[in-house]
Amino acid sequence: MIHARDVTKEYIDGDGTRVRVLDGMSLDVDAGDFVAVVGPSGSGKSTLLHLLGGLDVDYRGEVSVGGVKLAGLGDKALARFRNTHVGFVFQSFHLIPNLSALENVLLPSHFGAKPPDAVKRGEALLERVGLAAKKDRAPVRLSGGERQRVAIARALYGGPKLLLCDEPTGNLDAATGAGVIQLFQELHREGLTVLAVTHEERMSAAARRVLRLKEGKLVEERATAQAASGDAS
Amino acid sequence: MRLDALSRLVRLSLARERKGAFFSAFGVAMGVGTLVFFIGLGLGVGRVIREKIFPTDARLVDVVPSSVSLGLLGGGKLDAEAVERLRALPGVEAAHRKMSVRVPAVTRYDGVFFGTRLRMGMEVLAVGVDPDLVKGDVQLGEFKDAGEGQPIPALVSTRLLELYNKTFAPARKLPQLSSGMIVGFGFPVEFNRSYVSASATGPSVSSQTQVVGASDRAMFAGITLPLETAVRINRQAGVDAENYSGVTLVAVDPSHVPALVDAVKAMGLEIDDQERRMAENTGAAVALTTSALALLSILICFLAAVNIAHALSASVRARAREIGVMQAVGASRADIRAIVLAEAAVVGLAGGAVGTAVALAASFGVNRLAAGYLPNFPYKPDSFFSFPWPVVLGGVVLGLLAALAGAYFPSRRAAATDPARTLAG
Ligand SMILES: Nc1ncnc2c1ncn2[C@@H]1O[C@H](COP(=O)(O)OP(=O)(O)OP(=O)(O)O)[C@@H](O)[C@H]1O
Ligand SMILES: [Mg+2]
Repeated sequence: MIHARDVTKEYIDGDGTRVRVLDGMSLDVDAGDFVAVVGPSGSGKSTLLHLLGGLDVDYRGEVSVGGVKLAGLGDKALARFRNTHVGFVFQSFHLIPNLSALENVLLPSHFGAKPPDAVKRGEALLERVGLAAKKDRAPVRLSGGERQRVAIARALYGGPKLLLCDEPTGNLDAATGAGVIQLFQELHREGLTVLAVTHEERMSAAARRVLRLKEGKLVEERATAQAASGDAS
Repeated sequence: MRLDALSRLVRLSLARERKGAFFSAFGVAMGVGTLVFFIGLGLGVGRVIREKIFPTDARLVDVVPSSVSLGLLGGGKLDAEAVERLRALPGVEAAHRKMSVRVPAVTRYDGVFFGTRLRMGMEVLAVGVDPDLVKGDVQLGEFKDAGEGQPIPALVSTRLLELYNKTFAPARKLPQLSSGMIVGFGFPVEFNRSYVSASATGPSVSSQTQVVGASDRAMFAGITLPLETAVRINRQAGVDAENYSGVTLVAVDPSHVPALVDAVKAMGLEIDDQERRMAENTGAAVALTTSALALLSILICFLAAVNIAHALSASVRARAREIGVMQAVGASRADIRAIVLAEAAVVGLAGGAVGTAVALAASFGVNRLAAGYLPNFPYKPDSFFSFPWPVVLGGVVLGLLAALAGAYFPSRRAAATDPARTLAG
């Protein structure tokens, strides 16, 4: 699903110095895998997600996702890729405040080909994340966990094969976070590839693989119990 | 980006930025409104000048004899032969002769003048013209010389009538006259007689004169008679009855006029373009004033565009995260740009339409006030404005363009939003 080779990403800092965030990093993720990426703050985890999701194409190296080579794509093709191939889930949800839950889920429909049954599809997705009854609520009238579920439904709208999550439980309390983690597990079981950046032990425990970002490279931390049980079954 | 999706997203952000959008549109409406108003005023006043005060026909060329005599060659004179040569010039459709009555004349009126007793005597000027030149304006009988002792048909100037009605009559409590009312009015004229100067030799001729209509082409301060009448009176008085005082050429169409003017000058004759010059000068003065006011309005439009640029920049900055989210779910940079531009377009169109509508309403109000409160003056029009459709449409389009110009840089900035930066954390 993900194939990254020798990826190097540098930022030019405010004072003009180059900061190398990713340094010849490579990554392979199979379709249907559930990968957690851990690492200290500032190690480049979010940067990695943005590269994989086609939000940032300013790097050296090679990245292909779902068979699409990202480096050569233009503005339009990249937008199309984000619309249909990947779904983003962020730590602070990033819902649009003056849109209802359902309208937030439907946001991606504005940028793709016109689907005949967008609203139906949006409602089905809200149902899937357990929020069918609150589809008309504004985000401010939803709890943190509910907001994140709306955001996940939005990420699923375009029918992506890959979900890219940046600290999806970072703003949630333990109990709420557990519910969201469970949702990711279910989605993974339904065949979605999940790559989640996380600080949370429980999230990485739910993943099949844990990778650590260290000095700009990814190193395999450990195969988790999930992977072991998955292998056993 | 699909139009339905674009309109949905634009409505969304406009709803959020209601206040800013309102003030942006207000600025555009101010600029467009004043511009449309002043242009409408300029065109309206220009039209009054062109059509009423100096109704010049672009196909007419007024030829007069040269003011300097060319001696033996006989050039510069407007005799029958010269008229034939003029008539034969290429592009000439008709040539209408004019001859002044070259002796003084007086009228003495003592009687009832439309309900008021009037007693006055004054000198009159008279000119004879080819009946064809004025045939459209004759309302009574035939415009031709009926011979000695018969009443002489006469046309008066519409401009004189206007002046009489708006200034002379009100001041002297005389009745208002329409061109229809004066038709049939008769008064005596004595030719070859003067109160102030010595008359020519020869007898004076008394005639009853009858007004048969009013004409734009009639002489302003005098009466306009059939050409044959003027020739007869001049001949009787023993003055020049051979040379014409002017010829009005009618060109096939206005494009022939410049060549015609050159040809006439080559014959040693002159062109009387006083009327046309006056029309042009007045028109130019109006155009200049209109341009100055329009420039001021354009400046307001420019400020409105700057205002939109400011408002949109702030709004784009405030929405950076939202823009990042849209990019994450599939918006291209072109999409983001289109959203910001479309937002501005809606504001501009609304402002332009409202401004134009307000200008039209204001012009209507001004006309009403002018009709009610301004004293009557010559050529006071029913409407001081003219709004041809390109002006109305142009107002709306200008609003759109001003807003789009203001949105140019903000839309670029919005499209350049780096989603990676706004979405992390
Ligand atoms: N737009 C940018 N310009 C300059 N430097 C940047 C930019 N974005 C990120 N960085 C730097 O790159 C490094 C990696 O940032 P990144 O956001 O990927 O870290 P992270 O691992 O996600 O951290 P956290 O766990 O705190 O979210 C940091 O040192 C950060 O300061
Ligand atoms: Mg991060």
